[in-house]
Amino acid sequence: MKHTWAMAIDLDRCTGCGACVVACGAENNIPVVGEAEAGKNRLMHWIRVNRYWEGEFPEAQAIYLPIPCMQCERAPCELVCPVYATYHNEDGLNAMVYNRCIGTRYCANNCPYSVRAFNWYDYKWEKPLDEQLSPDLTVRSRGVMEKCTFCIQRIRRAKETAAEEGREIRDGEVVPACVQTCPPGAMLFGDLADPHSEITRKLKDPRRFRLMEHLGTEPRVVYLKRQKGAGR
Amino acid sequence: MSAEAPRAGVDHLARTDEAALFERLSRSNLVTTWRWYLGVAAAGAVLLWGLIVFLYMAMTGMGVTGYNRPVFWGLYEASLVFWIGLSHSGTLISAILRLTHADWRAPVLRGAEAMTAFTLMVGGLIPIVHLGRNWRVYYALPYPSSRELWPNMRSPLMWDAMAITTYLLGSLTFLYVGMIPDLALLRDKSAGWRRKFYSALSLGFRGTHAQWRRYHVASTLFAILIIPIAVSVHSIVSWDFAMAKTPGWHSTIFAPYFVVGAIFSGIAGVVIVMAILRKVFRLESVLTPLHFDNLGKLLLTMTLLWGYFYFTEFLTVWYNRNPEEWEVFSSYAGPYLPLFLTMIVCNFVIPFPMLCLKRVRRSISLILVPACSIVIGMYAERLLIVVPSLARRNDPFIWASYFPTWVEFSVMAGAAAMFVLLYMLFAKFFPIMAISDIKERLFHATDRTIGGTTVESIAQVEGEEEARA
Amino acid sequence: MSTVIVGLFNNVSAAAKAARDLQALSLPAGSVTTISAVPLPDGSVVTDPAPVRFPKIVIAGWFVGAAAGLGLTLATYMLYPLVTGGKTIVSVPPTLIITYEVAMLGALLATLFGGGRELGLLRFPPKTIHDPRIHDGKIALCARVEGDDQAGRAIDAMKDAGGIDVRPEEGEL
Repeated sequence: MKHTWAMAIDLDRCTGCGACVVACGAENNIPVVGEAEAGKNRLMHWIRVNRYWEGEFPEAQAIYLPIPCMQCERAPCELVCPVYATYHNEDGLNAMVYNRCIGTRYCANNCPYSVRAFNWYDYKWEKPLDEQLSPDLTVRSRGVMEKCTFCIQRIRRAKETAAEEGREIRDGEVVPACVQTCPPGAMLFGDLADPHSEITRKLKDPRRFRLMEHLGTEPRVVYLKRQKGAGR
Repeated sequence: MSAEAPRAGVDHLARTDEAALFERLSRSNLVTTWRWYLGVAAAGAVLLWGLIVFLYMAMTGMGVTGYNRPVFWGLYEASLVFWIGLSHSGTLISAILRLTHADWRAPVLRGAEAMTAFTLMVGGLIPIVHLGRNWRVYYALPYPSSRELWPNMRSPLMWDAMAITTYLLGSLTFLYVGMIPDLALLRDKSAGWRRKFYSALSLGFRGTHAQWRRYHVASTLFAILIIPIAVSVHSIVSWDFAMAKTPGWHSTIFAPYFVVGAIFSGIAGVVIVMAILRKVFRLESVLTPLHFDNLGKLLLTMTLLWGYFYFTEFLTVWYNRNPEEWEVFSSYAGPYLPLFLTMIVCNFVIPFPMLCLKRVRRSISLILVPACSIVIGMYAERLLIVVPSLARRNDPFIWASYFPTWVEFSVMAGAAAMFVLLYMLFAKFFPIMAISDIKERLFHATDRTIGGTTVESIAQVEGEEEARA
Repeated sequence: MSTVIVGLFNNVSAAAKAARDLQALSLPAGSVTTISAVPLPDGSVVTDPAPVRFPKIVIAGWFVGAAAGLGLTLATYMLYPLVTGGKTIVSVPPTLIITYEVAMLGALLATLFGGGRELGLLRFPPKTIHDPRIHDGKIALCARVEGDDQAGRAIDAMKDAGGIDVRPEEGEL
């Protein structure tokens, strides 16, 4: 069965806590670059929580926008890679092939959401931190581009399990690390190809919008607009 | 040239002492001073330093540069565009002047063609320098591999690879074929290892009538071919930017704008190189104020063209105030103001009024001012295209600033030193003046008496139509 | 290997006179040529009857290059059909660009090799006739002759026209 993975992020529920960032880092062997490198804008986060300010003090409000990779249907990053290190796979995901990447960084320049991170160094995990590394995916070398994959290792594992058991993947079986961790439950992940999945129902919500839609990238991450009202 | 009274009908070559002319034009090959050794040693040292720093960067990671998210391209890529742009020097001078039979072209040809070839070599290496995994650059080659992957032809970087390869081969061939009669001349005038060297390189060219005819056709064909290649190369380099969704890059004007900018910086580069050659090899009688006057006129035209393209680009963005593009352009008034002012002043404000004056164009020391200022201004322009569009792109939360580190400066200094070194080696071992072309012009030149004055008259030999039977 | 009479002349008019005198010998077309440091206009001393053919090779080279570029691009698309950016597998504009570049490369190489061949470069000797004194302002006139009679008359014609160091040599024109 062909899948159409998508993610819904409810901005009404997002508190900007950043747990998704930490979970993603733990799941995907993302290095902690340190304060100095962070000051040079070299954070390696695959998902980041944007914070925008609205209004002036004392009525200032923060707006939080978690931004994972949009897994665009018409991904501008895929087109410009000279070596096919990133392409669109059959699940409709934007696949990143680490060992093909030669580091031209053109894909990152072409991503309007700036979701791609580049390995500026060979990052080290000092003992015993190396024991926390997940064996399901690699530790990337210097000079290689990386980005959010919708936890493709979890998708693959679910596919294998389902195939072994001779069934289809159930709705809710695949949960990326960020979705799994989100404390207020703002994030939802599922298969849009399944007409009965929770995400298909959720995305009928009239609050839905996608980031920078005018650019024609057709992202697979849909946001649900924050509602403004009393006490918000 | 000579103090003889003009004799109508006698060509200038006949009254030139050809041996003395050869000595004068070949001074770079015949005489080596300590200054040459010093220059080569200095350029070699800087190149070596750049190479060592590059290896350090390759082994440590791109983190030693100033790159960050979202400014993933910076000094290296701006320099790439700059060097490829400089390579349009020889193409314009040599090819277009040949095809239009401009009679002042002869002394400028070789130096300009050499400049094209070597700036292109430098520019062609920078794509390898800027990679995160430079040692895997061969992934971009279409070869059958166990990984079962060929490169993505939809990527502008692959078009770059094709175009720069073709242009490099083309300009090297253009340079080499243009040199064959001069190499034959050097072969006949030298002895020992030099004779063997030039014999091998001149491929047995002798100068028979049939050879000259075919040589003329071949040179013309190369000139005709190299011009569209050059235009396509810099258009393709511009499309590295224009194809992107980055605000400020995605503009249809980029292809002609970059080509104009390339020719602009190229001619300025030729003026500088010619001035240096003239001084170092004492070619004052060959590279005359007339040549710099004509180069200056070309430079003036390109200043106006560049200004026209830039104003058009600016006007379109200013008028529309498309939010994403406007953030990029308003940063020119903010953190990028010094760079922006440098560009405008050096590319237009200084050169335009100066180049309008014949006095400036005819004075070697004065014309160097606009030429050097243009080279600086064009470098600033390349930086201004690459960096602000990335630093102030779509998502304001991720905006950053960028400044190159000592690593980037060192590697780029090494690149410049590579050009200087290649050029100095070339001038030493190869004829830096197109001796045969200069002699041919002297051969076609006679004195013609019109009424009470005598003027120089150049014969225009038409004959290619019958040649292509 | 043929016998070639070589004579040096101080200027174009002397060489032209000698060439005119040589016409009396009725040598076959293409037997008389000049060797000079600058190209002499066709017909000033001798004419070149043979047509210049290699431009046709250049055009052929352009098409061969275009076919190669087209083949390379299409093969890359079809053999490794990966979806990128929602574009079709066979994307037309990049195909045009690559085809054009490789076509120009083909034309360049054809000019280089076709022209080089027709220029008679890199000829594995037989020895070719040459006189390095052409670089001192002299023009060498060479006439390929058959038999001693023709050789003698050619030498006389050149000497009468003012030829210096007129001598027979063995070699190819």
